[in-house]
Amino acid sequence: MDIKNLFRSNIHLKIIKFFHENQNSIDTPRGIATWIGEDRSTVKDALEDLVDLKILIAHRATSTTGYSYTRDNKLISKIEKFLKKTNPA
Amino acid sequence: MIEETKDNTYQKELFDRLKKSVSLKKEEECFGCFIKPAFWWLIDKPNPKFSEVESAMSASCPYLKKGSGGERKGCVKSLFEVIRKCSRDKKLVRFECEANLHGFVYPIVQGDTLYGFMGTCYTKKDVSPQILDIFSAFTDTIVREVQKELELSKLYETIRPRAIALSTVHTVHRLISSTLDLNELLPRIARLSLQILRASRCSIKLIDSKRKILLPKATVDLRQKKARLKKVKVGRWAPGKAVKFGRPIRGHDYLATPLIDEDVIGVITLYDKIDKKPFTSFDQEIMTTLAEQAVIAIKNAQLYKEQEKLTMGSIKSLAKVLDTRAPGAYVPRASFLKITLSIGQEMKMDSNDLKSLEYAAILHDAGEVLIPYEVLTKPTKLTGEEYRMVKEHPMAGVEIVKHMKALKTATPIILYHHENYDGSGYPKGLKKDQIPLGARIMALVSAFEAMITKRAYRVMMTIDEAIDEVKKNAGTQFDPEVTEIFLKVLKRKEIRVMLEKELYGH
Repeated sequence: MDIKNLFRSNIHLKIIKFFHENQNSIDTPRGIATWIGEDRSTVKDALEDLVDLKILIAHRATSTTGYSYTRDNKLISKIEKFLKKTNPA
Repeated sequence: MIEETKDNTYQKELFDRLKKSVSLKKEEECFGCFIKPAFWWLIDKPNPKFSEVESAMSASCPYLKKGSGGERKGCVKSLFEVIRKCSRDKKLVRFECEANLHGFVYPIVQGDTLYGFMGTCYTKKDVSPQILDIFSAFTDTIVREVQKELELSKLYETIRPRAIALSTVHTVHRLISSTLDLNELLPRIARLSLQILRASRCSIKLIDSKRKILLPKATVDLRQKKARLKKVKVGRWAPGKAVKFGRPIRGHDYLATPLIDEDVIGVITLYDKIDKKPFTSFDQEIMTTLAEQAVIAIKNAQLYKEQEKLTMGSIKSLAKVLDTRAPGAYVPRASFLKITLSIGQEMKMDSNDLKSLEYAAILHDAGEVLIPYEVLTKPTKLTGEEYRMVKEHPMAGVEIVKHMKALKTATPIILYHHENYDGSGYPKGLKKDQIPLGARIMALVSAFEAMITKRAYRVMMTIDEAIDEVKKNAGTQFDPEVTEIFLKVLKRKEIRVMLEKELYGH
């Protein structure tokens, strides 16, 4: 899945938007599901897709996995442009 | 001044919402039926200037659009006076304009605060007081509704980032509490700190026993592959000062936060935010909370390490006591311990299982202490009774170690380390996967050890002869998978050198 396709998926878009707006955040699938108002298991799969695309970083521990936003400034700018296109307001 | 700015922002947002309010539009349409051909306007200031009233009106008022300069000025002036009266009384004011048309101005207030005005003009007939009463009640309800929406949204904007930050702190707590290994914990804390503060470098230093030097324990530098590890004297540079004064030290491109338990135990220092912005007081607040979580996790890991050292010390002491009976038999050579643990690592055993394997490697033959010395050292074939005694040593070993709680997980390895892969071993005759993995590893390494070290009952083999013997017995005495890994481990140069040095002294 490439970035353009991700923006067509509502759940991926919601997650990216959440992390773009809260770049200091590290959260579990359950936490993220709460913030974006989606089902945890769907969110979990989408989070892994985003990790594969290096948009998110996974901090894996035995008890849970925390996800945080990329630190790649080029990628962040690219996402910023996509988000503006998606929601110009 | 700040209050004024806050009020201005609130006022602007309130009017933005009012302009977009569907209820207000419906109200205008509804009342427009009674008072047409009126037009409506909003003024988003409690004390508008003459020019502001003129510009609000001239956009919509047909009279102003087509009137002469004098007429325009007169009309706006009369309306300006009406607005001032409405501002003073904070009540709806009816008026008749220069063109003999009617209208009214309604103040938008909350408590004692006036935010602006709503009004209508260009009505041919004066509007009845009854209609105005209904209008006032309706408008009041709509304004309140919009104000409530605005307050809720403000509350959401204030609480949500804090709730998200709190959730981040909670997640970090879970992530750092899930390990008791300091070597894993400290880099993890550093990486998480970097991520939360969007910084480029993080260094964790812990204070030495004399409390004079900060020793670098973990450094993550995202700009350089090789992290710099520098000692720092307490009191020097930002990390040293943070430790000395027991409070965070913040500069444009650094933030040093002390790790405080009962006393300061170290410091987490972050450098260079990736957006090049300075570290803020909010960053400092977040790092202080994170440092509080980190210090608990670090103390727990340090205590666990101490506990492990104590356990290992007790095990080694026990092995030493047993070794006095047959020197060299119970204190394992470092090379055999290394081979055993390397096989465990290659077979992806987790850290707890590896620890059990290490304990068992030291004490697997502890039960031999109950076998008479003459039997242990007998160079000829054992009698039936003697062999029965030998076969009982795994159970005896378990009896010896069972009182040590830390060795509970090592007992199956001790009990079954003489089981053979094909079921021909003792004490239970277990086969294949019925034998715990640790015991299968131990069976092979202890047999290999017996082949290449001096024993009364067998001729000492060379390393290569013993390797051939192991290969021959793969699938019968030994687990073929473990054998394969064992052969791989023995091919490592450092293992072979270590083994030869211990056995032959070169």
